[in-house]
Amino acid sequence: MRHGFRQSMAWLHTWSGLIVGWVLFAVFVTGTASYYRAEISRWMQPELRREATIGPDALARAAELGVAHLQQHAAGARTWFIALPQPDRPLIDLFWRTKPGTPPGRAVLDARTGEPAALRETRGGDFFYRFHFELHLPPLWGRWIVGICAMIMLVALVSGVVTHRRIFADFFTLRRDKAAQRGWLDAHNVTGVLALPFHLMITYTGVVTLALIYMPWGVTVAYKGDQQAFFAESGQITQPRPAAGRPGALVPVGPMVREALATIPEPLERLTISHPRDAHATVVAVFEEPHGLSHEHPQIAFDGTSGAVLEVRRGGLQPAAKTFTTMVGLHEAHFAGPGLRLLFFLCGLMGSAMVATGLVLWTVARLPKEGRAPGLGWRLVHALNVGTVAGLPAAVAMMLLANRLLPAGLAGRAEWEVWAFFGTWLAVTLVALVPAPRRAWSGAMAFAAILFLAVAVADGLTTRALWDDPAWFLAFDAAMLALAAACALVARKVTRYVAPARGRRSPAEGRPMPAAQARTALQPVPAGREEAGRRFERA
Amino acid sequence: MTLRPSALADRLGRAAVLGRIVLAAGGGYAIAALATALLSLVLPLPRSEAVTAATLASFAIMIAVVVVVFAARSLGRALAAIAIATLLLGGALWLVAGPLTPVVPT
Amino acid sequence: MTPLVLALNLGLSFLGLTALCVSLPRHHGAVSAAVLALRRVVLLRLAGWTLIALSLLAAAALDGWNFGPVQWLGSLIGAGLMLIVALSYDPGAIRWLVLASVLGLVAAPAALLLDPSWRTESPEAGEEVPAPRHGGR
Repeated sequence: MRHGFRQSMAWLHTWSGLIVGWVLFAVFVTGTASYYRAEISRWMQPELRREATIGPDALARAAELGVAHLQQHAAGARTWFIALPQPDRPLIDLFWRTKPGTPPGRAVLDARTGEPAALRETRGGDFFYRFHFELHLPPLWGRWIVGICAMIMLVALVSGVVTHRRIFADFFTLRRDKAAQRGWLDAHNVTGVLALPFHLMITYTGVVTLALIYMPWGVTVAYKGDQQAFFAESGQITQPRPAAGRPGALVPVGPMVREALATIPEPLERLTISHPRDAHATVVAVFEEPHGLSHEHPQIAFDGTSGAVLEVRRGGLQPAAKTFTTMVGLHEAHFAGPGLRLLFFLCGLMGSAMVATGLVLWTVARLPKEGRAPGLGWRLVHALNVGTVAGLPAAVAMMLLANRLLPAGLAGRAEWEVWAFFGTWLAVTLVALVPAPRRAWSGAMAFAAILFLAVAVADGLTTRALWDDPAWFLAFDAAMLALAAACALVARKVTRYVAPARGRRSPAEGRPMPAAQARTALQPVPAGREEAGRRFERA
Repeated sequence: MTLRPSALADRLGRAAVLGRIVLAAGGGYAIAALATALLSLVLPLPRSEAVTAATLASFAIMIAVVVVVFAARSLGRALAAIAIATLLLGGALWLVAGPLTPVVPT
Repeated sequence: MTPLVLALNLGLSFLGLTALCVSLPRHHGAVSAAVLALRRVVLLRLAGWTLIALSLLAAAALDGWNFGPVQWLGSLIGAGLMLIVALSYDPGAIRWLVLASVLGLVAAPAALLLDPSWRTESPEAGEEVPAPRHGGR
């Protein structure tokens, strides 16, 4: 194909990047937001009151309350999951699976009373987290699509490095004074090359996180397909116990919680109870990861009918398993303190920007010739670009806004928030087809800016009375205002952009435009100043 | 790409590109899957370690295959390389594991 | 301790990257009107790579070989972003950033030395100290 290795890699880069770019952008943006998943969840449930500490007695009692609720409402379930209250989230989150094919059950209880918690119903930050790898599709479909896109992203990264001629010479170069295409290429290169270690790491570890879905064949031949046996043997979970088939009675879990807390000094995160009404009922206490890169939850398994300890799992992984858990840990970055997390967040934004500039570059490089209408393909790519790059941030903002504006008692409130998200995204994409390309971009970005602004305003107006920690909520709203400012800046840049003439470039034109000059750029542009810009206007 | 850019050459070129995409995806996954299965059985490590190491490496293997397919001088060469690699890996796996009976995942 | 280590890393990385950047003919003019002689290129490159290597060593020495490299890469990317944005929007700001980095480099070790806690808090001893929860809250 074409001539030579580099050309074929360039071709591969362009087209592999285009077909998965939209999905990748969505995955990058929601993944980046997931670095602040807990914060988003907290903001979306402002009724929540945090507690300074939760002692062993309170934890033990909460576990008993959770089991009592499940005995009553989920007696037939295969597995119960009880997330125990944490100072940041003093609630009992219950989750249970009945059998494959039936939807799992959920409940959120007040940790003191065991009654359903009085909070607005929302998916919270978990929506972005799950969307990041499931795209709100049936889980297996979503995971396969994201996995395939991630593999193509790896291909695009490798072929992109091969294609890029002067990685070092261009490393610091962001030319804003050349033709539009050059500027977009620089932006694409800078965001791609500067954070390349992050991009490679996050994509590869992302695939590795779900490795056994994509590449189960090692387990197939070595373990006859028994993934549980593999996980247990590699030390990642406690030995699974199949049901005995005889009924059994679960003894109180409170003493188990106390014993677990006395054994391992990490905070206790949740209990997993399998076959709760069987003679082989097993209670596994799962702790938070100890401070470290590796994603390794210490675990203690108890016999559910006697309360005896069956197994204690903490550390001691072998090298390959340790490599695997470290990769997962690096992807999730739970270990990162505020400073490092902010850097991860910035890297995520740069990944999003890399995908976005790549997508825009595709359309800019293929602008229809002067005086010709763009083809259907170009218009489609353009609309999807605007719909994704500007529409997704707008959709995120709309979801947060819906969280504040929808009535608290609305039936199916959490689903309405999700509809607000997808509705906005779809609407921006469809509307982007109508106006001239440049106006579509600036309009959509301005729309996103207004929505982020509205989020901060709505929070201040409707929820101020509920804030338990005003400084925290104000900081979150300040972040929303920063996002609004960023979107507004892009909208302004697009509106006022004037492409320098090619070929005869005087030094004055090369410089960034003074404000007064920029303002006149809104007026009809003098002939000859605009080339790419004008074509962009007309397309 | 050719001296006489006729419609036929264009169509042939597109078919070749399509062929490479199919080969890169199918061949890449097949080789990665066979290599994972083979390495899981032959790596001189405890069983769980061999499986983990092989699975971690599988995605790098697939990327390498994709790059080879798109870098090859012609579709025929790429096809030949993939076919030979698949046969070698498949043969080795057959020697190590014996004819595999289909397993029903539990 | 980590914020201080991060500041130290950011400072070293920023200075290192700036030296490398300025060693390129295209960007030399951003900070200096002098002619870019070969000797200067070699010196700048040497200084740049040395500072970046120092940043890695500092991160590893203070945060261990486990977290150190992650901190180092993160701050290298962050410093690079800062430099590129400054370079293309306001090259004059680079001088101020260099000054801030140097001040940071002096201040961070001083703070490290004055604070006695870090000497007992080696990465291995982290087990007894309650580890920062997800992002330190």
